[in-house]
Amino acid sequence: MKRSALLVSFLTLFLLAGCRSSQPSPSGQPEQKMAVTVVMPPTSEPEAGFDPAFGWGAEEHVHEPLVQSTLTVTNPDLTIGYDLATDMQVSEDSLTWTVTIRDGVKFTDGTDLTAADVAFTYNTVKDTSSVNDFTMLEWAEAADETTVIFHMTRPFSIWPYTMAITGIVPQHAYDPASYGSSPVGSGRYMLKRWDRGEQIILEANPDYYGEKPKMERVNILFMEEDAAFLAARAGRADLVYTSAAYSDQNVDGFSLLSVQTVDNRGINLPDWNNPLTCEALVHHAINLGLDRQRMIDNVLNGYGTPAYSVCDGLPWYSEVNKVEYDRSGAKALLDRAGWLPGPDGIREKDGVRAALTIHYAAGDSVRQGLAAELANQLRELGIQADIKGVGWDTAYDDALSNPLVWGWGAHTPMELYNIYHIAPDNDSALYSPYANQIVDELMDEALACSDLEESYVLWQQAQEEIARDVPWVWLVNVDHLYWVRDGLAVAEQKIHPHGHGWSIVNNVDQWSWE
Amino acid sequence: MRMNRRTGALALMIFACAVLLAVTLAGELASEPAGVTDFTRKNLPPSLAHLFGTDWMGRDMLERTLAGLSLSIRIGVLTAALSGAVALVLGTASAVFGGWVDALISWLIDLVLGIPHILLMLLISIACGRGTLGVTAGVALTHWPSLARLVREEVLQLKEATFLRAARRLGVSGGDVFVHHLLPHLLPQFLTGLILQFPHAILHEAGVTFLGFGLSPEQPAIGIILEESMGYLAAGRWWLALFPGLALVGVVALFALAGERLRLLLTPATAQE
Repeated sequence: MKRSALLVSFLTLFLLAGCRSSQPSPSGQPEQKMAVTVVMPPTSEPEAGFDPAFGWGAEEHVHEPLVQSTLTVTNPDLTIGYDLATDMQVSEDSLTWTVTIRDGVKFTDGTDLTAADVAFTYNTVKDTSSVNDFTMLEWAEAADETTVIFHMTRPFSIWPYTMAITGIVPQHAYDPASYGSSPVGSGRYMLKRWDRGEQIILEANPDYYGEKPKMERVNILFMEEDAAFLAARAGRADLVYTSAAYSDQNVDGFSLLSVQTVDNRGINLPDWNNPLTCEALVHHAINLGLDRQRMIDNVLNGYGTPAYSVCDGLPWYSEVNKVEYDRSGAKALLDRAGWLPGPDGIREKDGVRAALTIHYAAGDSVRQGLAAELANQLRELGIQADIKGVGWDTAYDDALSNPLVWGWGAHTPMELYNIYHIAPDNDSALYSPYANQIVDELMDEALACSDLEESYVLWQQAQEEIARDVPWVWLVNVDHLYWVRDGLAVAEQKIHPHGHGWSIVNNVDQWSWE
Repeated sequence: MRMNRRTGALALMIFACAVLLAVTLAGELASEPAGVTDFTRKNLPPSLAHLFGTDWMGRDMLERTLAGLSLSIRIGVLTAALSGAVALVLGTASAVFGGWVDALISWLIDLVLGIPHILLMLLISIACGRGTLGVTAGVALTHWPSLARLVREEVLQLKEATFLRAARRLGVSGGDVFVHHLLPHLLPQFLTGLILQFPHAILHEAGVTFLGFGLSPEQPAIGIILEESMGYLAAGRWWLALFPGLALVGVVALFALAGERLRLLLTPATAQE
């Protein structure tokens, strides 16, 4: 009995490993031309539903909330545009924002969206959101039907980026216990059905105030990467997320779409707690001596771009971050720092070996591959590097004394602040020991600025200062890959942030079938 | 020349032990190169240069498999020995002292047997911080009860044996009775039970690690190898799971074979056949 069971298991294994369907299933063809089925990772399913107070649209992986409108939006070049808002003014002391909103916008239950709903939304998220920081907001008030005033606790020039991810909820129909699973909004889509753990179905909002969505129905399925790949092969979906591991495969009737991202991976170099990484010259040497293109080719099968900062390609990015790969220059810097090659090629200084342990999140094959490639390249510089997989329960503490492979990339300059600015009640930045008073002042100044465009310049100046210290070394931006059914025209994507989920459907309303 | 069953069993047992020893030593030698990543040779199917193929980081799968088996065998032997020691002490104490000691130990055995095996292992492994320590503690602390029960039954039977009662009447001390009279009779059953623990321990180590609660991902454990390979099966990289999986089954079968032959050799009913 046991033997036959074993035999069956192995046969199944063979079949799973070897089966290839040569043609997509006819049943997999879209039933209607105006519907699309998208496959996302299971981690993209919003645990707490579609409630902005519980992070919908505004979690670590930011995206447009679709079922709700927002006051502002991020344009394709990541500057700020308007959605509900028609005008936006900030006071000279930067402590009051006055936003005028569209007239005549209706929620999907037929009631009008007014400034009172906007104020209610912001006061609610400020009081209840455990996901986002709204401490800069004191309170929001509706001055009249179409004017909302935000009173701030401190100047916050990048407030429009927060407004771009906060979906507006109706005051009369908001119950925190049920809103997440039965949201009422004024966005391009309505939630039609949600089978937890399986799928979400969105239908176009017939009363939407903007351009009518071309895609009338969006089915979103949640699958693990291998199941998603098999779903594409079986023709059961129209757009399926995938990774570089599958990029060398062929799927009949589908082509591979590669989207540029700021979904970066990088390592922190603790400024103290570590004898090797406490030296700025070592930081510069590592930054200079890494062949990022080799990393992309080896680990990402070519699907990525070199990363030089946490915000490559965004309006507040500074070109000063960019370095040209120069291995001999890097070695010269290490020599200058007094780290000289020992008998086995590993550098030493005052009897201390140049050794590092690079930590990465266990179970993340991209981070593991990058850590391994990084270790190989560091060894070529004369630095002994080992890699170690860790859980997130210990990773944050480990990163205070060891480099960790991180993933960042958001559509807001606040990320620079969170990474490099000294944390409140602390003598160092939050994630890795680093402190630079000039950087902090420039960032504080950027936040206090009353003009968003001007603030970009200050964020760039802060990066110029950071580039002198290089407390983090950025490695690659990971392209987001998708299998797309032939005939589906996916609208142009803005640079995707960290997270391989909802970003792709930010503009699903503009997709079409050819 | 025809071998009698005893010689055949002995030969098979020696063969199984020799293969296991060879795998352990080969794995020890392969553990260093098994971790070497070389992206210029990634995702290669089995060939003469790489008999088991290579993975997505260009690691040689034969070297990883050998290193993984070696690690599994060492952890298996260590955990089986630890759980064997616990079983011997508790089983003997339970039978010898009787009374509340027996009741307490019997209750403990029932308790551990009553909790789902894999769940208890995962909990102990997490509580001990995972890694080698977590897996070893998890497997060792969950595998002793059935062996302890066996030891208890044996000792209870032996306690009433005439020669033991005679020894006690003649004034031999408790320790001497245990070492010179009890242990030699207990040993065959105990050893067989112990060796039959090995395959369980190895499979459970791989299982706990496969589920992500055991050894760290950079260690070349079979559980890690199999867990990693799952993501690549759909992409047609069958060799990543097939060879390590077969090798694990082979090692477990060899341990089972060795244990079974040892039982034949040591059990009085079959020992002389």
